[in-house]
Amino acid sequence: MTVMTKHVIIAGGGVAGIEAAGVLADMGHTVSILEKEGNPGGHVSKWHALFPDRRPAGEVTGYLGKRIENENIRFIAGTSVEKIERHGGGLTVGISGGTTLNADAVIVATGFDLFDARRKEEYGYGIYDNVITSADLEQMFNDDRLLTSDGRVPDRIGFVHCVGSRDEKVCNEHCSKVCCVTAVKQAIEVREKLPGCEVFCFYMDMRMFGPFYEELYRESQEKYNVNYIRGKVSEASGTMKKRVALKVEDTLAGRPLKMEVDLLVLMTGMEMSKSGAKLAEASGFATGINRFLESTDNHYGSNMSKMKGVFYAGTCTAPMNITDTISHARAAAVEAVKYLSSK
Amino acid sequence: MQLEGKKRIWAEYQKDIPDDHFFYVRSCIRQTFFAGSEQVFLKIMRDDLGKDVMEDPRHTTCTGIGYHGDVVPFETISTVVARHFALATEAGYKNIAISCVTSFGIYTEILETWKHFPDLLAKTRDNLFKATGREFDLPESIAHASDIIYKFRDELARKAKYQLYDITTGKPLKVVEHIGCHYAKMFPKHGIGGAEFPHVLVGMIESWGGEVIDYPERRHCCGFGFRQYLIQANRGYSISASRKKFESMEPYKPDMIVANCPGCAMFMDRWQYTIKEIDDVTYGGYKTGIPTLTYEEMAGLVMGYDPWEMGLQFHNVQALPLLRKMGIKADPDKRFLAKDGSRLPEPANLINS
Amino acid sequence: MEDLYARLMTDVRFEEGLNACMNCGVCTGICPAAEYYNYDPRRVVDLVQTRDNNIILELLKSETIWYCGQCMSCKTRCPRGNTPGLVIMALRKVSQELGYFTESEKGRQQFAIKRTVGENILKHGYCVVSYDVDPKSHPEQGPAWEHYYNHLEDSLARVGGELNGKEGPTRKISDDVLQELKNIFEVTGGQDLYDAIEEASELKAAEMNMEFKRAGRDFEYFRHVVTADNGNHQVENEDIRREEHAARR
Repeated sequence: MTVMTKHVIIAGGGVAGIEAAGVLADMGHTVSILEKEGNPGGHVSKWHALFPDRRPAGEVTGYLGKRIENENIRFIAGTSVEKIERHGGGLTVGISGGTTLNADAVIVATGFDLFDARRKEEYGYGIYDNVITSADLEQMFNDDRLLTSDGRVPDRIGFVHCVGSRDEKVCNEHCSKVCCVTAVKQAIEVREKLPGCEVFCFYMDMRMFGPFYEELYRESQEKYNVNYIRGKVSEASGTMKKRVALKVEDTLAGRPLKMEVDLLVLMTGMEMSKSGAKLAEASGFATGINRFLESTDNHYGSNMSKMKGVFYAGTCTAPMNITDTISHARAAAVEAVKYLSSK
Repeated sequence: MQLEGKKRIWAEYQKDIPDDHFFYVRSCIRQTFFAGSEQVFLKIMRDDLGKDVMEDPRHTTCTGIGYHGDVVPFETISTVVARHFALATEAGYKNIAISCVTSFGIYTEILETWKHFPDLLAKTRDNLFKATGREFDLPESIAHASDIIYKFRDELARKAKYQLYDITTGKPLKVVEHIGCHYAKMFPKHGIGGAEFPHVLVGMIESWGGEVIDYPERRHCCGFGFRQYLIQANRGYSISASRKKFESMEPYKPDMIVANCPGCAMFMDRWQYTIKEIDDVTYGGYKTGIPTLTYEEMAGLVMGYDPWEMGLQFHNVQALPLLRKMGIKADPDKRFLAKDGSRLPEPANLINS
Repeated sequence: MEDLYARLMTDVRFEEGLNACMNCGVCTGICPAAEYYNYDPRRVVDLVQTRDNNIILELLKSETIWYCGQCMSCKTRCPRGNTPGLVIMALRKVSQELGYFTESEKGRQQFAIKRTVGENILKHGYCVVSYDVDPKSHPEQGPAWEHYYNHLEDSLARVGGELNGKEGPTRKISDDVLQELKNIFEVTGGQDLYDAIEEASELKAAEMNMEFKRAGRDFEYFRHVVTADNGNHQVENEDIRREEHAARR
């Protein structure tokens, strides 16, 4: 077989998986994307608008959709990858349903799960009305319906940063990176939709790491009057009027603070996906203390696995934004190509 | 509020409570202020449930109030508690039933510390032997006494004579349940239901026909604060904590408050009286105060025990309205009797009398 | 000067109670003492983690470390696994061992706790005894307690107990058992702590020109530590932002 007709399997049909597939297919390789859900696109297909420029998420989903319109790409929905093993000179990939496929190279792009907010019991998600997650809010933006559970227009919305991240109590010490800028974005969107609604962001740090993020933060203050209170929300309780009573410290003022809001938005972090974790365990892929896949080197080997022919792309290795996921996926594809041409 | 969410949490935080053969250790506060309650617990366990509960009269305070009052060092309290383990070992008991919630927190803290610092366990063994010649095995289980009643709540429900039910309205009683801070806040895995949505009293209340009220300050400390109450100059801390809770629960119109910690039950009764004296404010339905019971008193009422023999009259907020609601006939004239049956003068200024 | 941080580290509660604080404030957000006093557990932990002896010394002498009510609500929530309440307990112990507690009004109160709870333990085998909760010094206990107290034997008999009986609630703890407790206190440093509290308090009483007795509670210094309130424990600084927050409740 020549280099041009090698078969690459990609575990995961989200941003990373599709971008890696696109690069490989453009270079003439045969690619099979195996996606456990019914549709391509992963999490981004559920978002409304993306930071930093608030462009419609649909544009990126559209881009991804076009990417897989390539005769070299086979998109197989409703199928998950369960085990990857070396066999002879290649790889066998066990998939759900019991069959095995053969591949010359595999890219693991199983992505992330959002932290289950119910695990932060003190916030009462799933128990008290009007405690929602950032994903729930994004869906409300999609539905163009920003109302409380009993149909009121909110007067005050609070955002809680770091839910499920930087938190020993839920065994996630890592920072999920993108939640801060997501909160800023959503805060702006709320202020735009409901100019009469006060918005408070309760943060520990403002992690505005990416291009134009810090500028967005500044804009949220100057143009949109989003209020930032430095303090992690300690507890949320439902009130008789179905508002949410929260307790927090305003650490910059050095005083405890109680406040009622109409909606409390929990910025849930990223965790290694459950299906990815199962795949890693079954295949013997090392995971870090944060339970994401551990590559061979933190600096120049972030796509590399110890198993020959297997490469990692995207948030299965660490929390990332879409921009970096795409870059990471392209790098994984290049590593795969290098590998295939050396065989 | 969505019950499904709470049920998920309760299912995760189930605790293994032994079936029988308990070594009972009493509470300084409960035996002082609610002596009847401890006797009710023993009666329920022995007579209603047929369980073996042993009490060695040589057991003492665990020194918890001294420890949290910062006059007793950790090594000292560890050794006093180890002495209780030695008494239990001597009597052949592996399960400890603890009356006080602060004690329960301390026994848990000590056992956890010994788990992570085995050198401290060794040191305590030495110290106990040096001081008393005693040796001990680690208990197989420690439970707060309310955990045990929780475990058998359905069996008690089947034997119950009364329900937590308002016969005047035909609706379940609205009950505020208060969990002592030291029950689960330190080690949530050791509390039934965990720290945020503890189930130990909820389970009892619902098994016995009542409805539990959730309110924003449910998880707030009652305000004992150890030194914050013990010292007169500090009592403002204590009373304002309870007051915060009363103001928060009031709109939900509770018929009663029940607590698994004796200190909490005592404070939430005393502070209602004090707030009335200071500000002429009372809480509860017709502003007649919210009867505040220990969980043993609640269990005793449901089992049909005589309220006055349980000591319900020795609360500032009298439980008479509650008894009427439950359809329990108890003669108010029989509340304050001497040993020989003669009537003692009724205290003035009780709430609801 | 002694390395106070190193001394704190020998206390297992401190070792358990302090990893490193990132100042998120969930502890202060939920703290009953922070609601009532001019107290901020986050700040205390942040100060202690500097490991600066001068700062720790100031804390040991301050009112600040005596505001905590040891409810441990902070332990449940801290994302770094710290427990400000345990840090406070360790600070309080060192403050008493080294005599600094008498520098603060709230700290001086430890003397009364030792004389009441502390001595009850060795005299009666209980932290609290009914005949000690005198309605005159405990008016807040109310009429129900006053009656119970005035009719202790009758009341206890009614509920199935016997004051100083052989068994049951409020049974008498025998002298041999009290001796065992005494021995435990001797061997484990409990008596040493009691002595340290007494010593420093007696010195302070002399300094303050107040009557001091080596036993009992009926003397000037005792009455003073139990009732003194300088009115500065809830001082709040002018803070417009705080008023705004209050308005938002």
